[in-house]
Amino acid sequence: RLPQLCARSGPAGAEDWLLLELQGEVEPRQGRALPGSLLGDLHYTRQGVPVLVVGHHVLYGRLVPLEKPLAVLEKRGARYAVTALVRTKLLFKTRPKPIVTHVPRKV
Amino acid sequence: SLVIRGEKDEQAVLCSKDKTYEMKIADTSNMLLCVPGCKTPEQLMADEESCDIIHAQIAGFSNNYWELRRCRPKLKKLRKLLMEDPYEGPDSAKDQASATSKYTTEDLLNVVQASEEEIMHQLQVLDACQIEGYWRILNFDYEVKLLNHVTQLIDSESWSFSKVPLNICLQELGPLEPTEMIEHILLSYGKKYTDGGEVYFEMNEDKICRTTAQMLLQNAVKFNLADFQEVWQQSVPEGLTTRLDQLKGLALVDRNSRPETISLLKVEDLPEDNQERFNSLFSIREKWTEEDITPYIQDLCAEKQTVGALLTKYARSSMLNGVKVYNSRRLIS
Repeated sequence: RLPQLCARSGPAGAEDWLLLELQGEVEPRQGRALPGSLLGDLHYTRQGVPVLVVGHHVLYGRLVPLEKPLAVLEKRGARYAVTALVRTKLLFKTRPKPIVTHVPRKV
Repeated sequence: SLVIRGEKDEQAVLCSKDKTYEMKIADTSNMLLCVPGCKTPEQLMADEESCDIIHAQIAGFSNNYWELRRCRPKLKKLRKLLMEDPYEGPDSAKDQASATSKYTTEDLLNVVQASEEEIMHQLQVLDACQIEGYWRILNFDYEVKLLNHVTQLIDSESWSFSKVPLNICLQELGPLEPTEMIEHILLSYGKKYTDGGEVYFEMNEDKICRTTAQMLLQNAVKFNLADFQEVWQQSVPEGLTTRLDQLKGLALVDRNSRPETISLLKVEDLPEDNQERFNSLFSIREKWTEEDITPYIQDLCAEKQTVGALLTKYARSSMLNGVKVYNSRRLIS
């Protein structure tokens, strides 16, 4: 008899999550693990443009509504539960720009 | 709710109540981070609260996801399972043996990669019936035996094929066969209706002719077409007219051989996968006209896909004696 994997949304219905899509890889600072580490700061400009600051880089992105929404499934034993739905993603495709801080010549 | 179905050696499919989807992994070189509760600019602007720092956690990340693509339900397995032990009638010694492979609805739902509605619909198409809780397909000879009981009764009672009374059938044939089987054969070969409080069946004349043809064709590899047409017309019940177009998807006529011949070729015996189906058809015959090949590829059409589109994708066309024919795109051994 085959195990049947059923996906069902929770009693309260599925939450809405956002997806952050980044080009390349994210690496933790030396000696640290990814879980628990801070990724960065997300801002929105007055025009609604998402801006992500990661380390000393700044990335400009855009809001992209997903053509086909995604469902986040969480495995619970032999079943999957629909934990969340993702309808929008923040896509960061441009090259990260290094933030250069101004160093005064004289204090 | 949704169900993922598949055995270890099969590619997983996801089924809703009435649809089937293939599950494919979509790889992206990008990193996808899931952020619960992260707000969009619109949502923030709609929020009356002041903009303090919101601490959000990334729930997880991945660089692939499952993509669902609607597909044809994989129903060939259903027929294969039911053909493991066709029902030969109540007197069959085989059925008494307990070690036979029989399937309940739940058994089928566990092993067939299709939605419940698609499975139930296919069981009807296969003329399957439930006997003691198990789904069974009739052994062909037993099916013919039951059908002959009915057609002989229609003949002796001089009934019209479009008005066959259920109660008299059960009365007259009851001593010969189980009443459930009599009713089942009437349902398989006719359309039930009521008239003046009585139940009648409008018989499917084409289907009766088709079954008669199958009975004749399965005993030989090839038949002389002219001979076959003569024997076939003589074999069908009085009042029915045979036509070659009744045999679409069941038999193949060869108009290029001398004499012209006909042989059994059942679409349900052919592979389910598109490419394999075309390979199989082209190994049977090198060049096909659209008219001849259509009954053997019709079931491959996805939603809103045409036979023409399939031919464009899997075949190459050319002209032969002024007629458009299709042959394989690849070398077939």
